Amino acid sequence: MAQASGQLPYSDVDHTYTSTGLNHRKLLMWVFLSSDCLFFGALIATYMVYRGQSIVGPYPIDIINVPVTTISTFVLLCSSFAMVQALAATNRDDQKGIQLWLLATAFLGTIFIGFQAFEFYEFLQEGLRIDGNLFGTTFFTLTGFHGAHVTLGIVWLLGMFIVARKGRVGPATALDVEILGLYWHFVDIVWIIIFTLLYLVGGFDAGPTPGMLVEPFLLA
Amino acid sequence: MSSHPPDHQDSRHPTFKQYVLIAIILFAITIVEFLIIVPQSLKGAGVTLAPLFILSAIKFVIVVMFYMHLRFESRTLSIVFVIGLVLAFLAGGSLLTMFGALQPTPRDFARKHAVPFIPHDAEAVGHTEELPVSPPVILEPEAGATEPAAGGSDLVAQGEAMFTGGNCSACHTIDGKTSGMVGPDLTRIGIDGADRQPGVSAGDYITESIESPEAFVATGVERAIPGIMIKPLTANLSPAEVEALVAFLSAQK
Repeated sequence: MAQASGQLPYSDVDHTYTSTGLNHRKLLMWVFLSSDCLFFGALIATYMVYRGQSIVGPYPIDIINVPVTTISTFVLLCSSFAMVQALAATNRDDQKGIQLWLLATAFLGTIFIGFQAFEFYEFLQEGLRIDGNLFGTTFFTLTGFHGAHVTLGIVWLLGMFIVARKGRVGPATALDVEILGLYWHFVDIVWIIIFTLLYLVGGFDAGPTPGMLVEPFLLA
Repeated sequence: MSSHPPDHQDSRHPTFKQYVLIAIILFAITIVEFLIIVPQSLKGAGVTLAPLFILSAIKFVIVVMFYMHLRFESRTLSIVFVIGLVLAFLAGGSLLTMFGALQPTPRDFARKHAVPFIPHDAEAVGHTEELPVSPPVILEPEAGATEPAAGGSDLVAQGEAMFTGGNCSACHTIDGKTSGMVGPDLTRIGIDGADRQPGVSAGDYITESIESPEAFVATGVERAIPGIMIKPLTANLSPAEVEALVAFLSAQK
């Protein structure tokens, strides 16, 4: 009946036509995040499958530093909070707030990446290699891809910050910030899972159990 | 900060105070997780996993519901996201189930299919000699306590004590004495050693193999883990201790 008056059934705030009643770009982001669940799901499952299967060290207990990573987890949670504030400021058309919170989000993300770089450096010093043992392979692949996601998010945030400095971010373009926020929060929830499984649960795994392969005193 | 101009989107979103509350809840959950795990792990007790998984799931849901506003969005978006999430869980669960039922386990498989150690590979990989960093520190803790070598059978006995009591036995088998599975079987090394390198006696071959394990590795000698028998493992043996080990190993015929 809407067609009768020459209009498609729905249109959103951007006046783009949609048959789902949803903004295409927002839907696209959610579909992407949904597929990214599978991407990280595969990497996490691979880590869990090979958990405790390494035949040479270093093992998680030798190198994983839970307190340090708890701090970097806090930093990432803070960045998510800053991100929702950036979106709220955008909806209020609070130009100073938009810039401040976007920059704060990018800054906190960069600190998180700094923690990861420090951690990777430490692990390399301890002898963990991506081609050294199964733990190294699965650990670096999973956390490395997560770090790449965070890095991409930081670049996106800084790009948005530059646009915001020109005064071009406001209620009319709130969807741009919202979609960026969706991506950023998703990276955060992936880290929630990685932190639980790789650090809290798997971070204290030792080497092969006695009698299995190598005597434990060799691995002490 | 908390002034709300008329905006159709903002009215559906949580307020600043609510966002702060959500952040505090997320922080609190992370602290609780940390407090659950660390004391248990320090005690060496088995870790209770269920609370951790539940707390993480709560964090996950809170972020998706409020920070990502999925709670305030069309149900279609929730369905799209949940489909991906469920598929990821099913795929991961299937993988874990399949590998959990796998015989042999991946580790046994890796052991079985390990290729013989070839020095060329070690050079190509380059870093293998750095791999086990910790073993040299704890190697032969009682080495200093062993008595100095006297002669003949005393030397063999001392070498045997070092071999069976020390770390050698963790990797090397000598029939009836030790049963390590990682390195080559040394039951007949006193005979085989003489054939390993042309013109090198069994004693000299064994000495070299102890003092610089990576200098020469005989073809056909199966090593489960390339790069595990390395110089740092034997670096802190005194010449007298090497002599004792060589005497003992040369007697394995």
